[in-house]
Amino acid sequence: MVTPRLDLVRTLLPERERERVEAYVLDDAGHGTDVFGTTVDGLGNAYALAYWLHRYYFRVVSAGHENVPLDSAGVVVGNHSGVLPFDGVMVTTDVFRHMDPPRLVRFMVDFFVYSMPVVGTLFRSLGQIPGTRRNFDGLIEEGHLVGIFPEGADALGKPMEDRYQLFPFSHGHAELAARHGVPVIPFGVVGAEEQQAVISNMEPLARAFGLPFVPLTRTFPLFGPLGLLPKPVRYYIHYGPPLTIDPAALRSVEVRAREVERVREAVNAQIELGLEVRRRAEGGRA
Amino acid sequence: MSDETQTQAQTEGETGAELEARAEAILRAGPRRVLVAGARRKIAVELIALLLSDPRVDKVLAVAQGPCPPGLMGHDPRRFMYHQAGLARRRQVDNLFLFEEFREHPLDTVVHLAFAGNPKGYDASRHEYNVNAARHLLDAALRHGIGKYVFLSSDAVYAVGPRGDFKVSEDAALNLDPEVSATVRDIIDAEFLCRAKMDHAGCEVMVLRPAGVVGGGVSSGLNLLFESNPPVLPIGFDPMINPTTKERLARDLALALMVHGKGLYNVAGPSAGPLTRFLEARGVTPMRVPGPLLRSTNRLQRMVGQTRYHAEYQPKRLFYSLVLDDSRFEADFRRHAALVAVGGSQGAVDEPFA
Repeated sequence: MVTPRLDLVRTLLPERERERVEAYVLDDAGHGTDVFGTTVDGLGNAYALAYWLHRYYFRVVSAGHENVPLDSAGVVVGNHSGVLPFDGVMVTTDVFRHMDPPRLVRFMVDFFVYSMPVVGTLFRSLGQIPGTRRNFDGLIEEGHLVGIFPEGADALGKPMEDRYQLFPFSHGHAELAARHGVPVIPFGVVGAEEQQAVISNMEPLARAFGLPFVPLTRTFPLFGPLGLLPKPVRYYIHYGPPLTIDPAALRSVEVRAREVERVREAVNAQIELGLEVRRRAEGGRA
Repeated sequence: MSDETQTQAQTEGETGAELEARAEAILRAGPRRVLVAGARRKIAVELIALLLSDPRVDKVLAVAQGPCPPGLMGHDPRRFMYHQAGLARRRQVDNLFLFEEFREHPLDTVVHLAFAGNPKGYDASRHEYNVNAARHLLDAALRHGIGKYVFLSSDAVYAVGPRGDFKVSEDAALNLDPEVSATVRDIIDAEFLCRAKMDHAGCEVMVLRPAGVVGGGVSSGLNLLFESNPPVLPIGFDPMINPTTKERLARDLALALMVHGKGLYNVAGPSAGPLTRFLEARGVTPMRVPGPLLRSTNRLQRMVGQTRYHAEYQPKRLFYSLVLDDSRFEADFRRHAALVAVGGSQGAVDEPFA
């Protein structure tokens, strides 16, 4: 039987980037993975593909990396869109590529992903784990960067008319950041909302398959799974200054709601900044 | 005192007397007289050998249904007794505490390992054995002034699924699914009986939930999977596990007997990793089938005698991770392993617990 040589994917990486992958320190739990299931091989192969997407397909323009903690824990929070979560992949790749030493943003992922064969195992090997409180606590206690999309997976199916309109934020990220005393780093992704034009959500199908949504786009389901692939739009990612969450958020619902709103406004400000940068760069396009 | 313990004490600035005082506060006083129920299990054989290697263990009474297993026959009859008893019968259990050998110096510790986990041929008598044995042993232990009661549970009590935590602590959700295997329900029932008595003033009641045991010919679910020819796994899933070994579990049980402490504890192996890495490490190549076909393939394999593993026992176990967090046991017990070894090394065998 022929075994696929996944490691050949790494030839897509320039030498300098390969060295960065090798420099990434994984806390080995004894069998080549960390306790969350992350593998250096998985990371290296995924980074090779994601680097190519980051540099040549989405041609990501990013700024504000100095706001991301160099070696301590933090919660990275931003907007979500685009049917398939390429925004999460690009943020993770962007942080890994621009931080020295490289840092991995570990996103809290919706549970349904882990009930899918291959996909769940793949996500776990890339350090992306189910969004439970205990998992969040574990990551923060070990000094990791935790990524959260507080709009939830529903935001992936955001229709065209709601582009760059943030859905209401869940409160978990503010509460957990306050509990651990770690900063929230807001980011805004511009571009992902144009990679797929969602016309409608086919809710009955979504319910039948236990998925958060099943989109109807110009290309899906017309062209099958290929119709889900994103258009090669340019991404603009901006990271804002870290926000310290008021510890009173743990004792008062009002304070917590206010802090969540503050994070939402900070994310919105980064989106506005991204739109402005894109307008200047692309000659008037909003 | 062992060299390692002395070095550790010197590092912490403790004198020998201070170390002895600390040991006295942490360790249970006096020689141990231990009743081990379920002595035919391989883990029991391992534990008994370990206990008898420690001079502080005065006597071990091993109890099981059926004849004495060959692994226990060579022990010194002055320190080891084997007795057959029906643990589901209250009177027979009570009689275990009334042996002449223990009249002057009564039993002070009970280790309850008597649990029939094989889901094949489950019926009411199996339920009685699993649950009533726990009830009768615990009741009798409390009546006869036993100082420590340890029940060996299982990690099968935990709910496993896509919402799993990267490490499962003792307060994680239990598998109370109405479809759950009857043997898992029995373990939970037996655990609840123990938990109801955990506040007893005179007896330290402990429940240990071990991760799957691999190797040593034990009949744990994970080991039966490893011994299958070949192990069948679902396509696209590779759960994280941190299995323990028979030897490590026996050491953990022995520590639980020697050190003060009560409550519910996870015990697991020292390392975690994907299931396939553990199989690779043993040179085993699994066969992959689509997830929905896993149970029927397992049934077929059992029919043709290629496995003793029951996929129905924990149907989600091969799909989703279950890594036990045993940091509480580490802090409360394993941390004192060197102290326990201080006394153990005074005899013929050196440092059985370290």
